[in-house]
Amino acid sequence: MMSESRSREKILEIQALSARYGQIEALHSVDLDVGEGELVAVLGPNGAGKSTLLRSVMGLTSSTGTVRFRDKILPRRDTSAIARSGIVLVPEGRGIFGPMTVQENLQLGAYLIGGRGADFERRREKVLALFPRLKERLTQTAGSMSGGEQQMLAVGRALMSEPRLLLLDEPSLGLAPKVTAEILETLGRLNRDGLPILLVEQKAPLALKLANRAYVVSNGRISAQIDPREIKSHADLAHHYFN
Amino acid sequence: MFDLAYFSQTLVNGLSVGCIYGLIGIGFCVIYNASGIVNFAQGAFVMLGGMITYVLLTTLHLPMIVAGSIAIIVVALLGVLIERIVVRPLWDRNATMFVMILATLAVQIVIERTTLILVGDQPKSIPVFTDLPPIRIGGVSIGYQTLWIIGVSLVLIALLALFFQKTLVGRAMRACSINREAAALQGIPVSRMLALSFALSAALGAIAGILLTPTQFTAFNVGTPFAISGFIAAIVGGFGRPFGAFLGGIALGLAQALAVFGLGSGLKNVAALSVLLIFLFLRPSGILGAAK
Ligand SMILES: Nc1ncnc2c1ncn2[C@@H]1O[C@H](COP(=O)(O)OP(=O)(O)OP(=O)(O)O)[C@@H](O)[C@H]1O
Ligand SMILES: [Mg+2]
Repeated sequence: MMSESRSREKILEIQALSARYGQIEALHSVDLDVGEGELVAVLGPNGAGKSTLLRSVMGLTSSTGTVRFRDKILPRRDTSAIARSGIVLVPEGRGIFGPMTVQENLQLGAYLIGGRGADFERRREKVLALFPRLKERLTQTAGSMSGGEQQMLAVGRALMSEPRLLLLDEPSLGLAPKVTAEILETLGRLNRDGLPILLVEQKAPLALKLANRAYVVSNGRISAQIDPREIKSHADLAHHYFN
Repeated sequence: MFDLAYFSQTLVNGLSVGCIYGLIGIGFCVIYNASGIVNFAQGAFVMLGGMITYVLLTTLHLPMIVAGSIAIIVVALLGVLIERIVVRPLWDRNATMFVMILATLAVQIVIERTTLILVGDQPKSIPVFTDLPPIRIGGVSIGYQTLWIIGVSLVLIALLALFFQKTLVGRAMRACSINREAAALQGIPVSRMLALSFALSAALGAIAGILLTPTQFTAFNVGTPFAISGFIAAIVGGFGRPFGAFLGGIALGLAQALAVFGLGSGLKNVAALSVLLIFLFLRPSGILGAAK
């Protein structure tokens, strides 16, 4: 169906990805891809396996299948090597280093370039321009900030590595609508500037506003693919979710 | 009758042995923070620090500073080796924490027995670093080795604080202890941090061993008692908090010294275990309060 996206070069190709927790398989042979410059949304109900999908890409679960990123097959269980290849995940729950300062968190985001130097300063200025609220809080401990500020820090920290693909797991979780809008707006801007994004989001209408394409995950499988331009109403969306 | 000079003397001795416990306790914390493992081979590092220095002094007749430095490096490398050939393979196989902790206990026994075979069971000692008569203040005499122990410990604490607070690698190690998964997601090589934590802990243990051997002695089996004291220091400090462990070590050293002073030397270990129990009951999160 989506002819436009098919013409783009695929940068992330997930093939037959399955993941299990102990005896329970939480992800069943999922195929998914992200093209150059695309923002792809992954929707689906609680417990569908969305987080498991992103965590498996980053090598955080025991999984089978292949994940290819820019024509290289990613290692299965070496998260820091996957991060070095240029993919960064903003995990569910943000994963900020709470007892450390905002500044230290940003520095660790740039661990791969040594967390200092002209390049580091340039990246930091860019991130602070994107999230001015962080600028006033550089010396504050990250854990003492509001949820929205923490999410901004999580995204900002991820951007410090200048990723070539950004994965986000429900950045809107627990945030006020206004803050959510602010963060999603920033993500949209980053994407328009060329950053490919794979966004897991339960708030489907918000995600579909930004996305070029969307997948619906339910019970550990891809149950539908959506072209956001075809979604005109809640009924359209419900149709994709439930059939 | 209360003998103030003897009392002060006791406190000074307690302080110095407390510093040693503290250094060993920090070793426990550093590895625990990086991995969640309680490394029971920590005592072996202490023993080997003194023992290797002794061997280098007596066989190669190296100067103390050279022998000590080589011992520290060798023990640090041994720490990395243990991480590589014992801990990492278990880790990669998703072994339970319990299995990994038992494995470190096995390592402790192997090192102890190998040392027994190589150097025998006789206690060894090494000369004091500064061979001068003790300084006398009032009725209290403070040996130069005591000053070395306290001085080196304080310098190490300062260096560790700088390392963990100011350097990128130190911050990355802290990040691993706060959230290992999030650290890996930033591209921090978590397993290299684990190896580094073993090197650091082993070096700290070795330094503790070298510092204390001139005033005590070393033998193949001194590791375990020191590991237990260091372990108690770490718990009293609120496990996982290096500076808490150092304070815990000092508290433990002082408590033991006071028990010996007031009640006789037979009660040294009773005092140590009492300190542990009091903390477990009243302040399970340690001297510095709630852990991370
Ligand atoms: N660590 C774990 N151990 C065991 N089962 C797990 C674990 N993490 C997730 N699961 C199970 O795997 C399934 C998928 O979970 P996952 O977290 O991927 O869902 P999700 O789509 O992200 O849900 P949500 O929208 O609530 O975040 C669920 O049934 C969940 O219970
Ligand atoms: Mg989730």
